[in-house]
Amino acid sequence: MRKEKIVIRFVILLGVIVSIYSCIEPEPLAESDFSEWLSGGSQTIFNSGAGAFSSAFPDLTDAREEVHEIGDGAFEQTFVSAPAPINPGLGPIFNNVSCTSCHINDGRGKPPVNGEQLSSLLIRLSISGTDAHGGPNPAPGFGGQLQQRGIFGVATEAYMKIEYTETEYSFSDGETYSLRNPTYTLENPYIALPGDLMISPRVAPPVFGLGLLQAIDEADIVALADVDDLNGDDISGKPNYAWNVVEGKKTLGRFGWKAANPSILQQTAGAYNEDMGITSFVFPNESSYDQSQYDGLGDEYEISDSLLHAVEFYIRTLAVPARRNADNTTVLHGKQLFADAKCAACHTPRMRTKVDVAFPEISNQIIFPYTDLLVHDMGVDLADNRPDFDASGQEWRTSPLWGIGLTRVVNGHQNFLHDGRARTLMEAIMWHGGEAEQSKEFVRTLSKNDRDALIKFLESL
Amino acid sequence: MKVSYFRFLFATIALLSFAGCDDNEGDSQVDTELNAQILEAFSLNVAQASYNDLKSKASELNDDIETLSASGGRTAVNLEACRASWKAARASWEQTESFLFGPVSTEDVDPRIDTWPVDFNVLEAQLDSNNDFTPEYIDELLEDQKGFHAIEYLIFGAEGTKAAENITDRELEFLTALGANLKNLTAQVADGWNPSIDGNYHELFVNAGNGSTSYETQQDAFAELVGAMAGICDEVANGKINEVYEAQDPTMEESPFSQNSITDFTYNMIGVRNVYLGKYSADGIGLEDLVRKHNLQLDGQIKAAIDAAISALDNITDPFGEAITSQPVQVQNAVEAINALGALLDDGDDLVNTDLAGFVVQHTK
Repeated sequence: MRKEKIVIRFVILLGVIVSIYSCIEPEPLAESDFSEWLSGGSQTIFNSGAGAFSSAFPDLTDAREEVHEIGDGAFEQTFVSAPAPINPGLGPIFNNVSCTSCHINDGRGKPPVNGEQLSSLLIRLSISGTDAHGGPNPAPGFGGQLQQRGIFGVATEAYMKIEYTETEYSFSDGETYSLRNPTYTLENPYIALPGDLMISPRVAPPVFGLGLLQAIDEADIVALADVDDLNGDDISGKPNYAWNVVEGKKTLGRFGWKAANPSILQQTAGAYNEDMGITSFVFPNESSYDQSQYDGLGDEYEISDSLLHAVEFYIRTLAVPARRNADNTTVLHGKQLFADAKCAACHTPRMRTKVDVAFPEISNQIIFPYTDLLVHDMGVDLADNRPDFDASGQEWRTSPLWGIGLTRVVNGHQNFLHDGRARTLMEAIMWHGGEAEQSKEFVRTLSKNDRDALIKFLESL
Repeated sequence: MKVSYFRFLFATIALLSFAGCDDNEGDSQVDTELNAQILEAFSLNVAQASYNDLKSKASELNDDIETLSASGGRTAVNLEACRASWKAARASWEQTESFLFGPVSTEDVDPRIDTWPVDFNVLEAQLDSNNDFTPEYIDELLEDQKGFHAIEYLIFGAEGTKAAENITDRELEFLTALGANLKNLTAQVADGWNPSIDGNYHELFVNAGNGSTSYETQQDAFAELVGAMAGICDEVANGKINEVYEAQDPTMEESPFSQNSITDFTYNMIGVRNVYLGKYSADGIGLEDLVRKHNLQLDGQIKAAIDAAISALDNITDPFGEAITSQPVQVQNAVEAINALGALLDDGDDLVNTDLAGFVVQHTK
């Protein structure tokens, strides 16, 4: 055990003693409860402001922190069209100009407002059938993702239009709530859209804590799966095995809205490639390859191997913010309701990372991500009807809930779910269906006080 | 940025210890009334004052661009007026970078007014095109085609020596549209803090610990201030200066056409002082007053470190793009001085609360 840990234990013990002696009531937190404050285990940071998602692991060595900083710089770097003295290579077609343009403050994106095209929401595309690796079948002339931007003079693939229909519902105590149901239309395509085109809108998810999620043992994730619902709780949970480009085989998917991405490296390189038109050793071909927008320049990688690895390391070492008010009575009541509603059946509170002697910061940590990293049927209302490897058109990955209460201060909004349709945490809950139908119904029948307590609990995460 | 694990552990335990008691003996160090006044004064005298000034400076720049664009307006005097008002607006903006949270960040205004590099290929292509530069068209432009640096390129020229008579009609059209866009975006940030406008950030900030949905405690709001101040020190020292210096690559320099970089950095440091003193133009209560009440030594150290950072920047006498090779010692000294200030604000990993971040944990709740 490292000396630092012994010191921490000692401090905790000392703290408990001090707490007990400073006054009699109430009972001090037990150690197991205390650790729930530390959502990211030893890689928890205490920042509940605008930078809550942007802190490095607290105990990186100086040399490793330097790599983190290099990756941080690249994450903020704005790409421009080539040739240019710095950061050339944007496009020819793309969604945005830098990582941080969508992942603002390393946080959560939102759908566009008032018909703007630029946004932190993108659209995945495919047609029926699968590609050579069992993944989505790219749409001819469009590929796997809509790029609604092009460098000057290059045809954009199409524009995206979102329209919402409001429907009113009510809780069993009579209080009403409204959900907005989006319809997506692709306008002005540069060539005719395929007849059997499937689309899946996705907002940019927060990028902190991913190093810890990647470090959870595959066996622990698979152990939570119950594909055929053998335990009869109407909740299945399925691992999504997706194509691992670097390893050249299918491996467990953990990232993205459908867990169709097996690693932070592939997710990062994929975003560079599809979102910005930046090639790398993982994805050496331009996203416009085989399309009329392609410039025919099969030139060198537009981001170097080492810089790509630095960005991967940056994301891997973004710390998780600590909980706030975890011992508040209302929060504790909300926590009980979260369990009673069976939310925790998929939003698994507690996980442990595997031992990794080469990466001590993420090794053997108790973390509280509130996800099982499995995909679940979320019902027809949330369905994108676009299969993605083993995830069906109705299945979505359980989203991690850690840090969710800080979305407002970091990103200034409360837009949740894969396309940001929910405008509050409660709306996000009430969109749940499929395997989560019973949980939603449970919440629908709660009293106003209980509903508020549940939200208060989520905001403490 | 690193955050001290131990420090917060201690603080949490200290809070836990006190939280259990009904009487207030444990809170005797925390003056919540004073702290509320400091937050209120920050919003009023720093955030609102700075953003209102930025808004009016951007409006003046827009006026000067319109004068330049008017028939017969293409004179050296009018161009010089644009350059002066660009620098004035820039000075105001750089000071606000010491508190990059709230609407400027959540409404994504920062990248739309201050992105570097600019995409010159597209900029030139826009000028060559027949596109109509309507406000909507500019709104839809990518962030690397508008804002301060696109305007800078047009009024200073790539070599910084553009002559008024060489400015084309298309450049004036584009410049006019960009000036209006900058004016609108800066007004949007100022409005975002305006207490009389619905959903303003002032309410969220000053009601920290008193019903604010963004800041559950006053301590959260104080941590935001200190984090933002330390954040700009990190950005200036390790990003804006050191990245360019280590790469020995003048093309990475921000504000190269106006040779305004050192001035930019200096105003960033002045911005840190503004937050600390709670003063932009009107003076009032500030973080300074809380620190002075409990720790005169820390107060003196912070003020001296701010002065040292500014004078280290003053010692760089060549334009920044040249100084990275001609004045390496001065450049390194500036990096060190600004990092020293940053460490005093938030040193990241110290067991002892000798920095401002540790101080506010102790004296706010």
